[in-house]
Amino acid sequence: MQTLVSAQELTKVYNRGVEEVRALDGVTFDLQKGDFVAITGASGAGKTTLLHLLGCMDIPTSGELLMNGQSTRGLSDSALTRMRREQVGFVFQHFGLLPTLTVMENMTLPALFSKRDAKESAKELLEKVGMTHRRNHRPNQLSGGEMQRVAIARALINCPQILLADEPTGNLDSVNGEAILQLFHQLNRDGLTIIVVTHNPTLANATQRQLVLRDGRLVP
Amino acid sequence: MTFTKFAFQNMLRRKLRTFVTMAGVAVAVAALFSLLAFQRGYQNGMRDELDRLGAHVLVVPKGCPYDAASMALHGASWPCYLKMGYLEQVRKTQGVSVAAPVFMNALYGANGEQTVYLGINDDIRAVKRAWKIEGALPAQTGDIMLGATAAKNLHAQRGREYSLPGLEGVKGRVCGVLAPTQGADDNFFYMPLADAQRLFKRQGQLTHILVRLQDPNSMDDVVGALRGCEAGMEMNIVPLTHLFRTIQGMVNSTRLLLGCIALVALLVAGAGVSNTVLMAVTERTREIGVMRATGASMSDIFRLIWLETALICVIGGVIGVVVALAGAQSLEGWLRNQLPFSPTGALIHPELSVMFACLVGAAALGSVAGLLPAWRASRLSPIEAIRAT
Repeated sequence: MQTLVSAQELTKVYNRGVEEVRALDGVTFDLQKGDFVAITGASGAGKTTLLHLLGCMDIPTSGELLMNGQSTRGLSDSALTRMRREQVGFVFQHFGLLPTLTVMENMTLPALFSKRDAKESAKELLEKVGMTHRRNHRPNQLSGGEMQRVAIARALINCPQILLADEPTGNLDSVNGEAILQLFHQLNRDGLTIIVVTHNPTLANATQRQLVLRDGRLVP
Repeated sequence: MTFTKFAFQNMLRRKLRTFVTMAGVAVAVAALFSLLAFQRGYQNGMRDELDRLGAHVLVVPKGCPYDAASMALHGASWPCYLKMGYLEQVRKTQGVSVAAPVFMNALYGANGEQTVYLGINDDIRAVKRAWKIEGALPAQTGDIMLGATAAKNLHAQRGREYSLPGLEGVKGRVCGVLAPTQGADDNFFYMPLADAQRLFKRQGQLTHILVRLQDPNSMDDVVGALRGCEAGMEMNIVPLTHLFRTIQGMVNSTRLLLGCIALVALLVAGAGVSNTVLMAVTERTREIGVMRATGASMSDIFRLIWLETALICVIGGVIGVVVALAGAQSLEGWLRNQLPFSPTGALIHPELSVMFACLVGAAALGSVAGLLPAWRASRLSPIEAIRAT
């Protein structure tokens, strides 16, 4: 098995005024290619902080994070941006679709930033997530489930190795939540590594492995 | 999709706000464009008008030289006169090539329409070298030569007699018609000098003398000699190049003031655009976070916001130029009423180079105004931006 993510003693400290907040405290784990992992824990346990580190949106205060064997320590903003473009795809609880853009335009937005033509792969992805008939609609014309499927397609447009999802079913009803879960299973079967942050026990139990955080530490 | 299309769509998100911001830019650019077009138009019009006059020096009765020049150029009744005897003294002055005497009077009809009569003699041909006459200059008593517009209005034919407007019981035989000059000459009725002096009861008097010099470079010497001659104290010697420079100087002073106002308006518009886009950046903080998470670099965000600002200014600039072009005629009419001296040609002369300069100015304004919001947006931390509500 190929190790895709390796976290060694990951620590993230924030300063809130004079108070020092240890959002993550010595977290160590490895993820293999093709894993489907849930990060769970109570609010404030450090789930989203860990997701942001894995998504190269931030760098750890100490410890080391290896993405595909490359350390994120000391990387410049542009290098982190390049890693985000090439290696990860993000899915948000609030979908994060841009209201002025159509489904197709929202989907191809990451390709615009990476300066590649993604029309063909966008068509394939739209078909995969069952949104071909909505390609010219704007987000305000879509249901929550449809918006999340578009957001997933957008996250996959640059063919990332890892899909990071922050509470992907948090704003959906149970039917749409189940549909998203099935989509994740399908993508995982196709070889995609998926990491979800969730409070949803159904989603968490449906993954292969759970990383449970408490007060910034991994629960053994 | 392209960055420009994306920026354009963002610009249209709050249509009213964008429109108001654009309107600010449009007003400033319209003011700047009108000002520059007026400057060109006025300068060209003045130069053409003085060229058409054909003289190097205008000799007029004592009084304001600008009023006198305006009357000589556009036609009017004069409040004071030169004695015919001064003409010989002017002719005899060293350096003077030709001195053409003119007697001018204007009459007004019941509806306020103006008819300008000019008494001239053969000397006028040496001054008005560009004149093309179908027929002959008025030489015999009762002869009349018409400007092109005057002939058209009268449906005049050469050789026929017509009643002269404003002069009851007086008829004139058309001996010649002047080809169009595009100036005030087109509206005038020309008659022999003696006829004009007799009809208007000013025998032995002139309104002005048009003087051409043997060498225009000796202007200062000749003007000095004219002022020093016996009748020098009774005449006003107006070198037309100096007149042109003086009037242009007066207009330039006003233009400088108006230019400063236009510049301030442009700066205020720029600040308005900057503020609008800053507000938009604040509203879209979370979207910027999403874009950063999905692979947008700092320079991508900078480019997007900067393009949006530049688009607002360039489109505002185009609207401003179009509005200025559409309103040019009304502005010209208003300016003509306000200015003490204005040439007969177009006062507003919109040239392509002026249009181009204004659009480049608008683009430059947008480029500068976009720097702050674009910099702010690009510096947003992706995590903080995503967390923004």
